[in-house]
Amino acid sequence: MKAQGRTLLQKDGTKTVLASLLSIAVGLAVGSLLVLLVGLFSDNLGLASAWEGIRLIFFGILNTGRNATGSLTWGFNSQSIGNMLFRATPLILTGLSVSVAFKTGLFNIGAPGQYLMGTMATLAIALGIPSTAMPGPVIWLLAFLGGALAGALWGCIPGLVKALLNINEVLACIMTNWIAANLVTWFFDATKVFQNTVENTKSSYVYKTAYGKTLVDGAWTYVDGNGVQTAKLGLDKIFSGSQVNAGILVAILIAIGVYILMTKTTLGYQLKACGANRHAARYAGINDKRNIVLSMAIAGALSGAAAALYYLSGNTEFYWHTYQALPATGFNGIPVALLAANNPIGVIFTGCFMSMLNIVGLQLTNLTAYNEFITDVIISVIVYLSAFSLLIKMMLSARRKDKPAADKREQDKPAEEVSVEKGGEQA
Amino acid sequence: MRTMESENIIEMLHITKEFPGIIANDDITLQLRRGEIHALLGENGAGKSTLMSVLFGLYQPEKGVIKKNGKEVKINDPNDATALGIGMVHQHFKLIEVFTVLDNIILGAETTKMGFLQKKEARAKVEALSERYGLKVDLNARVEDITVGMQQRVEILKMLYRDNEILIFDEPTAVLTPQEIDELMTTMKEFAREGKSILFISHKLNEIMAVSDRVTVLRKGKYIGTVDAKDTDKQSLSNMMVGRPVQLEVTKAPAQPGAPVLDVRDLCVPSKSHKKNAVNHVSFQARAGEILCIAGIDGNGQTELIHGLTGLEKSSGGAVTLCGEDISHASIKHRGQKMSHIPEDRHKHGLVLDFSLEQNLVLQRFNEKRFQTHGFINRAAVREYAGQLIEQYDVRSGQGPVTMARSMSGGNQQKAIIAREVDREKPLIVAVQPTRGLDVGAIEYIHGQLVAERDKGRAVLLVSLELDEVMSLSDRILVMYEGEIVGELDPKQTTVQELGLYMAGAKRMDLTRKEGEGA
Repeated sequence: MKAQGRTLLQKDGTKTVLASLLSIAVGLAVGSLLVLLVGLFSDNLGLASAWEGIRLIFFGILNTGRNATGSLTWGFNSQSIGNMLFRATPLILTGLSVSVAFKTGLFNIGAPGQYLMGTMATLAIALGIPSTAMPGPVIWLLAFLGGALAGALWGCIPGLVKALLNINEVLACIMTNWIAANLVTWFFDATKVFQNTVENTKSSYVYKTAYGKTLVDGAWTYVDGNGVQTAKLGLDKIFSGSQVNAGILVAILIAIGVYILMTKTTLGYQLKACGANRHAARYAGINDKRNIVLSMAIAGALSGAAAALYYLSGNTEFYWHTYQALPATGFNGIPVALLAANNPIGVIFTGCFMSMLNIVGLQLTNLTAYNEFITDVIISVIVYLSAFSLLIKMMLSARRKDKPAADKREQDKPAEEVSVEKGGEQA
Repeated sequence: MRTMESENIIEMLHITKEFPGIIANDDITLQLRRGEIHALLGENGAGKSTLMSVLFGLYQPEKGVIKKNGKEVKINDPNDATALGIGMVHQHFKLIEVFTVLDNIILGAETTKMGFLQKKEARAKVEALSERYGLKVDLNARVEDITVGMQQRVEILKMLYRDNEILIFDEPTAVLTPQEIDELMTTMKEFAREGKSILFISHKLNEIMAVSDRVTVLRKGKYIGTVDAKDTDKQSLSNMMVGRPVQLEVTKAPAQPGAPVLDVRDLCVPSKSHKKNAVNHVSFQARAGEILCIAGIDGNGQTELIHGLTGLEKSSGGAVTLCGEDISHASIKHRGQKMSHIPEDRHKHGLVLDFSLEQNLVLQRFNEKRFQTHGFINRAAVREYAGQLIEQYDVRSGQGPVTMARSMSGGNQQKAIIAREVDREKPLIVAVQPTRGLDVGAIEYIHGQLVAERDKGRAVLLVSLELDEVMSLSDRILVMYEGEIVGELDPKQTTVQELGLYMAGAKRMDLTRKEGEGA
């Protein structure tokens, strides 16, 4: 019986993986088609460059540049792969954020706002604590936790509004996103101290966290190298020339933690029960309102942590001036989660895949006359398809609600007959 | 041969209808004679509705032919069926709520002149029909404003208006009061006398014995046989239907009521659909060791009463005392410590359909020490407990504890809920329509469980719409009408007819301890 159950689960799992792979393949194919068309109709491109572009789209991550004769060379590109992992770090976390909420039946489109609040808190703590006040790792940890906490609090707002007033979380999330955007702009504008004035070429940037608040000649100034940054743990040796740091390991650990939380704990059980059937959860005495708020708080904390890990790397800067766009990393958590079918472990891989597309875009720009926006087309196609596959799955399960008969193999004998009868009545 | 053909107005010969993975109708033959009432009997899932849907053109069979007056016909959609004079009253009425009764009747068969409706002629025809068969309806009322019984008469008039001679009634009595059922039976017999042929789908043996000439029994998609009603009895019909001897009557010793477990005083629960109270100053007591039944027609406040008692909805007045503790404003979880609840809607409240059976079996108990350590679920303990319940309560499923609840049959889903609730061993068991939609075998089992719990000294509060169940299972009956308790009856001393009068609001007892009467 056990074995039977497992093979079924595996089957369901493989189905999901197949659906995701299919949407990826179609996305890449559409991107290639675009490359081909542009290549054929452009004067300074041609069939040969189109073919290069297509190969880059599929295998760009393994490209090592061009050789003396000008043809593409392939192999292990430590810089590309390292940067892929670096960029995947926040994506994995925002992906987790979306998927946790989704398992509780909530659509967290508020990840960008939570990410921004996380950014603000992380930078304020990392840059606000004098580097002599405590050891660097402690500042790092405080900044990281502060970012997660700020995200959690920001996530709570739509959660509370949903739980207490039954206002749709999507609306509340969209509003809190923009409130966050303006709040963060205002914060860095008003406080002034965090604005990068050391490097004259840079206006409207906040200091990297590598800058530490230091007392020089009786005045607080920011000195490069005195600040905090995420440890490399030797990853920079493996992936030389890249920005990668231990943040990716933290992200993977968090993903495993989320997996354990959702599958092994009573809290995860409650969250999933609320998501799968809020009425039944309430009936059983589970506090559905508390769980909705909690789920959004966890989602917010994950988005906040995404921002914390990104900006604590030490070599990333936050551009704050007249901030009007929401960070794409927040929104990209949605396709990452969709593509992984909300599986926390799957999110690790889909997060890496999305950042890989990013790298591929850069390769296209650097090596060919194409530009990186082609990868945006690929991402959009994949998002569409993964959303569609979810839609199709939802339609299938909705039908199954009416007639579980379709799943004859999974059930005992008298089961399906009831449902067929029902189907008959409804038709 | 010739005489045979003219005798049968409709013949469905060797009908086979398959759905993916399941044969809903397997070589079924049904012959309907002119002017007879032919009952189609079977448990849920036996294939009755599928067979009727085939006749009505909603499904196309894979094999088999349909003949009318001996001639083979092809029924591709309900319009073909109507053209052949076949009409159907569906279990769930197909009426447009915001249209008037007249508009509903003529819809799809309107008389028009140059594209304009000629309602006068239609009205005259409907009025004549209504008069002739005593089918009283208010032609100008909107369907949403009339009673369920009148809605059914509208459905019947729809068939008559189309001059149908073959009338299909799909579970027509489920929504009616005993009096309305009697009227319907009379009307059906009248139709038969006039030469119309009636197919009557039901699983209620009393009604079948009362009106039908012949009975065809289906079981699990297969044809079991056709018998003359006068040559058979309820017991043998039910044995045919289930395939084994069934205990029709609930056997139980006389109740030995003890101390009150639940005390309800003046409870009020607001309605969600209108401004009045859905439960209006209701007071009663449920005692240990008795099955107290709340009877009534659907929608008279039973659901809200139970929601008020279990905490699913907030009450707006009155007090509820459970085992000596005031729980009027307690949380659902807190109430659950002394009360188990078999909910009315097993898919909405009873189960998380996308959870496995074992996860569903610990829905209230996952937080108990036994099933968790420091917040981590103790899988092995849950699995073991689930296995134990599955065995003890005979819950059947494809893969045991890990079966998805969604893929289980209705009867076994209900058994799982009963196992979970009964095994919590609480002094009060609230059971709302615990046998709804289940087949005879499962009903027999669930009734047995409830009686056993009663005999263990628990108080059972039963809400039921099935009169047979009310009469046979309960030790005491409270009748609810428009949110109030209008009668308290002893099932041993009352009759179904009397119960029906209370349910329809025609009769009312002066229950002296009710302060809020008439509020």
